[in-house]
Amino acid sequence: MTTVLSGGADPLISLTGVSKRFPNGTLALDNVSMTVPKGQLLSLIGLSGSGKSTLMRHLNGLHKPTAGTVKVFGVEVSSASSKQLRDVRRNVGFVFQQFGLVGRATCLENVLSGALGRLRGPRYGVWSYPRTLRREAFDHLERVGLAPQAYQRADTLSGGQMQRVAIARTIMQQPQLLLADEPVASLDPESSAQVLELLLKVATEDKMTVIVTLHQVELALGWAHRIVGLRDGRVVLDQDARGLSQTDVMEVYRRVDRESELLATPSTPAAAPITERQRA
Amino acid sequence: MTAAHVEPLARAAGNKLPRAPRKWQSKALLAVFVAYVVGVVWSWMYIDMTLLTLFGGFTELWNLVVDMVPPNFDNMRVVLKATVETIWMALIGTTACVVLSIPLAFMAARNTTPNPVVFAVARAIITLTRALPTLVLAAVLTLPLGIGPLPGLLALAIHSIGMVGKLFTEAVENTEAMSREAVTSTGAGKWQTVLATLVPQVTPSFIGTALYRLDINLRESAVLGFVGAGGVGFVVQQHLRSLDYQRAIAAVGVIFVVITLIEVVSTRLRASIIGDHLSSPTKKTPRTMARERRDHRLLVDAVTTRRLTPPWTYERLVRASAGIIYLVLIVVAFATIDIPYLSALGLGDEVIDSFGRLFPPDFTTAGPELWQGIRETVAIGFIATTLGLVISVPLGILSARNIVVNRFVYGTTRLFMLALRGLPELIVAVLFVAAMGLGPVPGTLALTVGTATFMAKLIGDALEEVSPEPREAVFATGASRAQEFVTSVIPQALPNLVSQTLYMLDVNLRSSTVLGIIGGGGIGFLLLSALRVLQEPTVGAIVIVIFVIVYSIELIGTFVRWLVE
Ligand SMILES: Nc1ncnc2c1ncn2[C@@H]1O[C@H](COP(=O)(O)OP(=O)(O)OP(=O)(O)O)[C@@H](O)[C@H]1O
Ligand SMILES: [Mg+2]
Repeated sequence: MTTVLSGGADPLISLTGVSKRFPNGTLALDNVSMTVPKGQLLSLIGLSGSGKSTLMRHLNGLHKPTAGTVKVFGVEVSSASSKQLRDVRRNVGFVFQQFGLVGRATCLENVLSGALGRLRGPRYGVWSYPRTLRREAFDHLERVGLAPQAYQRADTLSGGQMQRVAIARTIMQQPQLLLADEPVASLDPESSAQVLELLLKVATEDKMTVIVTLHQVELALGWAHRIVGLRDGRVVLDQDARGLSQTDVMEVYRRVDRESELLATPSTPAAAPITERQRA
Repeated sequence: MTAAHVEPLARAAGNKLPRAPRKWQSKALLAVFVAYVVGVVWSWMYIDMTLLTLFGGFTELWNLVVDMVPPNFDNMRVVLKATVETIWMALIGTTACVVLSIPLAFMAARNTTPNPVVFAVARAIITLTRALPTLVLAAVLTLPLGIGPLPGLLALAIHSIGMVGKLFTEAVENTEAMSREAVTSTGAGKWQTVLATLVPQVTPSFIGTALYRLDINLRESAVLGFVGAGGVGFVVQQHLRSLDYQRAIAAVGVIFVVITLIEVVSTRLRASIIGDHLSSPTKKTPRTMARERRDHRLLVDAVTTRRLTPPWTYERLVRASAGIIYLVLIVVAFATIDIPYLSALGLGDEVIDSFGRLFPPDFTTAGPELWQGIRETVAIGFIATTLGLVISVPLGILSARNIVVNRFVYGTTRLFMLALRGLPELIVAVLFVAAMGLGPVPGTLALTVGTATFMAKLIGDALEEVSPEPREAVFATGASRAQEFVTSVIPQALPNLVSQTLYMLDVNLRSSTVLGIIGGGGIGFLLLSALRVLQEPTVGAIVIVIFVIVYSIELIGTFVRWLVE
């Protein structure tokens, strides 16, 4: 499973000059470069449409860049063979805002599908997975507190429970990198706090590297090592979280807002990215 | 003039108002309407059916009814055996069609197709298989395969691909993509992902479609015997030929009962599969409550003891037993149906050979008759649709509970319609031919009856569903019942009525291509006579003509539906 990993010194992820223009002409990423070392907890922030999801999707090859290179575990995802891509994906857990569960299947089956990358051949139904994997899936459901729902259909669960099943599916995958795209955006405040806490607890226990997009800045600040801000597909903030207070980040959000107003006025020259200004 | 004032208003409302159809579209609709009227007038003159022949037909029918009582059941052993064969043919034919349609659907669905060439080929197969009526296909297949159920069930299997493949494809295209993306992201392979995410989503609708097609194929299977392709239709025809009407009606009665029974079972099965849970929460009888308690206990036991296989809940038991019953039935069907499997294996070359002899098609030998057959086929379709529609309006009104206050009238009308709809159209047609002799009139009347009962059911249901508020508003003004009906009920139901009429025209034109096979007029008659004398190139020509007729109807139908929407 670790064959695709290169030596420990290299960063887990490195993006160089990545741009993405969709067929309809939208420039969703504009010359993005960044590296992420192993074990880091990184939070992506930015207004809606700033390119956060697009960036995440480049990291496991769901999107291909129009320019630049995306390297994950030392593999160049943008030009990887489908075999290599599967190897990368197996090591990248992806938690989606809309959970991505199969509603008509039981929770146990949904969790088991996280093991497909490790198995050969198609599987259908619980019985088609080896018993050891079934036991493992049960353990993971227990870990997210949903073992009692193992044989319940996924579409009978609440939103928070569904996301916990999705998390169990991701643990089943045993990934080294966890990407979570607004994992709690469709949940009520109480379950979002619970689910996020669970996600991060599991990720740190299993020593995963994490990239998460969040709309709740205070949550992001609470646990992230590093905050990266995107605007119109460009990196406008890349900072250690420790130096930032909550008001700082709120200030950052507001500045990003004001910047957009400034940019809208043609006569004003484009404001420099915040990081550069702060370094200066 | 007013349009100029209305348009800016519509724009101000954010284009929320329905867009008026563009000019050429409304012109095209008008042209379709005019073409329909012209078609009807021309058809009426062509068939030369006067109201007198119509009423004459009713006396002849009455005479037949008198000849048929009392039904004679002493040939039941033969009838039942042939009926069982009919059921097996439908079961095997539908199964074969489903097996072929599953890969086709994944190839023809936009979200799963491997490449554009495969996509185009799969779509073409699905469209083309629909264009040859089952009975025509079966008749042609008897050339190489001989008399028996084999050509019949092959025809059922091939023709059904058109509908089943299309519905399967739609089911695949209607799946949600999120779970697929999520499982792909775990590093699962393409087929692993399809099986884990798509298949659970499409299975219920696949099964529903298959059961629905089984109903249709059972009706089709009952008439395949008319061309020697197996099943109970042959027995009916034999009795009619020897003027043994009392035995014939007994066989027809058996067909009716079997079709109705299987339809009831499959409708219930479909409802329980498509409905998300087997027990509806509204009806909690002690039995369902006990069932739920047992299920709950099983689920709790399973998770506390960490069972690694799903527990046998009621829902799962029902599914598993339905599956086992189906498997047993299909095995019995294959084992007992009269197909010489070993020699059938060698018939592949024979089939190719005999299809080769259909080419080059010979359009000249039957030239003038061919042309006459085409015109008669079209004429039958138009008259049956129009006449059926005219009759269906009073029939439909009589069968609407909220309009006819008299329960007896309402009840008997519904019952009468149910009985007529329970029989395959061609069985009705063959009885009419027996009563009135060969020719387009009995065929037309049979299709008329089919159309009238079908449309009357729709009209009755639509009238019962029409929202009551506008009616009450008009009532409050003191309008009479008739006025009230005209001003409020009709406009509400009209658009649906128009599209259903077009649909019936489509169905009737298709049916009238095969009516001739049982002597009911139209091009099918030529097909049968060419087959009898083994004029294969002429058979080829007729098959091509039928194909073109049905395919053009399909294209025109698609265009008109597009216009209406
Ligand atoms: N498949 C696609 N085709 C075309 N345009 C796309 C596609 N996916 C995203 N976009 C566009 O790319 C831009 C970035 O979208 P993205 O979903 O990455 O933003 P986001 O930061 O995740 O926003 P949100 O917070 O709303 O999720 C948007 O303008 C979006 O409309
Ligand atoms: Mg997003």
